[in-house]
Amino acid sequence: MTGPVLEIERYTLDYQTGRSTLRVLDDISLDISAGEVVGLVGESGSGKSSLAWAIMRHLAGNARERGGQLRLDGEDLRGLSSSRLQALRGSRLAMIFQDPSAALNPTLSIGEQVAEVLVRHQGLSLREAWARGVALLGGVELKSPEAMMRRYPHELSGGEKQRVLISTAFACRPRCLIFDEPTTALDVISAAQILALFTRLREETGVSALYISHDLALVSRVADRVAILERGRLVESAPAATIFSAPAHEYTRRLVSAVPDPARRLIDQPPASATALLEIHKLGVSYGRPGFVDRLFGRASETTQALRELTMTLSPAEVVGVVGESGSGKSSLAKALVGLTPFAGEIRFEGRVLSNAAGMNRAYRRQVQMVFQHPDASLNPRQRIGEQLARPLRLYGLAPGESEKHAVARWLEEVRLPAEFASRYPHELSGGQKQRVAIARAFAARPALVICDEITAALDVSVQATVIELLLELRKRHGTAYLFITHDLNLVRQIAHRIAVMYRGDLVEMIDAATLDARGASHPYTRALLEAVPRPLRGHPAPSSLQGTP
Amino acid sequence: MTPAYLLKRLLMVAYTLLVVSLLVFGITQLLPADAAVTILGQSATPEALEALRTRLGLDQPAWWQYAQWLGGVVQGDFGTSMRNGLPVGGTLAEALGRSLVLAACSLALMLMVAIPLGVVAAVRRGRPSDLVVSALSYVGVSLPEFVTATLLLLLFADVWNLLPATGYVSLSEDFVGGVRHLILPTLTVSLIMVAHVSRMVRSELVDVLHTDYIRAARLKGLSRRRVLLRHALRNGLLPTITIVALDIGYLLGGIVVVEEIFAIPGIGRELISAVNARDLPVIQAGVMILAATYCLVNFLADLAYAYLDRRIQYA
Repeated sequence: MTGPVLEIERYTLDYQTGRSTLRVLDDISLDISAGEVVGLVGESGSGKSSLAWAIMRHLAGNARERGGQLRLDGEDLRGLSSSRLQALRGSRLAMIFQDPSAALNPTLSIGEQVAEVLVRHQGLSLREAWARGVALLGGVELKSPEAMMRRYPHELSGGEKQRVLISTAFACRPRCLIFDEPTTALDVISAAQILALFTRLREETGVSALYISHDLALVSRVADRVAILERGRLVESAPAATIFSAPAHEYTRRLVSAVPDPARRLIDQPPASATALLEIHKLGVSYGRPGFVDRLFGRASETTQALRELTMTLSPAEVVGVVGESGSGKSSLAKALVGLTPFAGEIRFEGRVLSNAAGMNRAYRRQVQMVFQHPDASLNPRQRIGEQLARPLRLYGLAPGESEKHAVARWLEEVRLPAEFASRYPHELSGGQKQRVAIARAFAARPALVICDEITAALDVSVQATVIELLLELRKRHGTAYLFITHDLNLVRQIAHRIAVMYRGDLVEMIDAATLDARGASHPYTRALLEAVPRPLRGHPAPSSLQGTP
Repeated sequence: MTPAYLLKRLLMVAYTLLVVSLLVFGITQLLPADAAVTILGQSATPEALEALRTRLGLDQPAWWQYAQWLGGVVQGDFGTSMRNGLPVGGTLAEALGRSLVLAACSLALMLMVAIPLGVVAAVRRGRPSDLVVSALSYVGVSLPEFVTATLLLLLFADVWNLLPATGYVSLSEDFVGGVRHLILPTLTVSLIMVAHVSRMVRSELVDVLHTDYIRAARLKGLSRRRVLLRHALRNGLLPTITIVALDIGYLLGGIVVVEEIFAIPGIGRELISAVNARDLPVIQAGVMILAATYCLVNFLADLAYAYLDRRIQYA
């Protein structure tokens, strides 16, 4: 077939909200040729998902198409009847979603969900489709595919579920695939394996794909060409190899500079003193306790050990990063340190020994503050920002000669928010602004240690960059130490002095961030992690392949 | 689901029933009624009363009476009625049979009407048919049984003279007559539950239709029919199982009222007349049977839920 597989020509889309209309896609033109993978990168609200829905012809009820063409192999998608559309979806045009756990029906077996596509589009009998399904699951490197067909989604890991969905998408040999952030919900190593799988499958099948992601570094590794979307407008489309080295548009340049690059360290100041601020000795956290009947029958309790005998120290003003996949125990560590969960072992803070949460006195609680991942959940939606900031001020004492109102305004200013935000409610603020308020609330108690639990995970990359900048600035001003929990290895390598690598409840390695490149990691898990992280593709054009194979 | 779980769950049922038996026995002890006086009448001589009390064991301490009674119940002996001296078990079993016929019909009718209504309302959300279903549901929920029963009686038995007003005819003796007698009570009992359950089905299904996996199913090119029936309906109906099981309690309460209105000699009516006559063994047995039914239904609902949703692992 000559000519592009997917053509988007001057496509414009509005959303109707009440009487006003919001333009989500403005005059988009983009072609994808046979066998080509085009990355579509944009921040939240840029309209990248809306474009995917428009191509799949699955628009929201309030969407209004204002013009333009969408064509698959020359066939106009906008004019298709619903039966033609049903025949096309899942066979010639397929989509893979962000969260594989949500995209599989929890009450149907894997086999049925794979086979139904073949029954529908290739007219196979259920038996034939089942046999093909086994082969398909084998083709995406799932172990014991026959048994896998009979299992249910909750019995699979996230990576396995995404493999199932990929096998379904490839089942009818589609012409074009749309990926909507397919690895965002996965841990780093599973994500790298999924990408390696995709690379192999595209070589085998020659499928075209539109790969949507917020992650520029990742897309530059996967795609041949990268298109940058800013608030509904396509600002730049360039070969993946040059997007980092020679961004043409000003917005792309901003985006590129915001992407964390482990080679560019943002922190240089070494820890101020050699005495430890926090010493953690053999800290353990376990969840679950035996129920009444279990105790009655004298059965062993089924507790989960979330954290095992963790020992580490933290100096004043030191930044220690904690990385690990979900379930590695990093959040349990944070919860134990602020007394939100019972723990075993010992925490020594400024020389004082704590062996349980009850021992955490007022002074400790003031000195150790926490900022959470979702500011929406950690800020009270019915209280004004000013009231929420005033609470730690009232609890832990205002500076002498300063009024409460003045102090609130000062803290808002410290996090670079206007003072009039004090009278606003959280919902009136953007995600980044809310997270600044949460940071201000933590700092208002004048802490010596702030625990940041994935605080930028829900933010766009450019917003993340400004929040990180703010954290580093506050540290410089107040000499605060951070325990910075994240899944983003590139980011933590920029800002941490040392990085604790966690795996299934164990601290496997403590690495020195500054000398990591030169010395390398010693533990195999750390090495696998480092290899799996897509680093921004800088420098000269290279084939878009991934190293992170299992 | 493990055998250990089943055992555990059955033990819970037994424990619940034990607590119920304590409560029932305790309450009947507190009733301001002397069984001997009830049986022999106000004019009985003190000697005769004393003799009867001794014979019935009423002069024994309460805990002893409770143990005696519970021992009998465990063996299926609910004692004898104070009114007619017949064994309580036999009388109530017969009455329970009639009530179960009514309950089963009501439940079946309710499910046959409520689920399609809820599905239609969910699929056509915001359109006129949804609004009609919602409005009817509100009306249904807000009408208590004695009002609907009276209205139905007035229309069908009095004004149009289509159906018999009251009474009960055994289905095995006269099937047509039995059915004719069952229609109005069944309608009355199921109406309020139709309203409740159809609203539940609607809201659950609306949620399910907005999930990612339904969207994924549509984008696989599956037909609307398959998406609705195979992907959405099972997930949408799961919570309904629990609601229906809980509604059984409501159904049992409704049956007591409806049996009284339509003069059906079921367990509800038996219970009411026993309360009026201070017939303690019948009251105790009746309440125990109703509680046991309720526990059993909820136990079965748990099993059904686990069977339909493989994520649920009872251990």
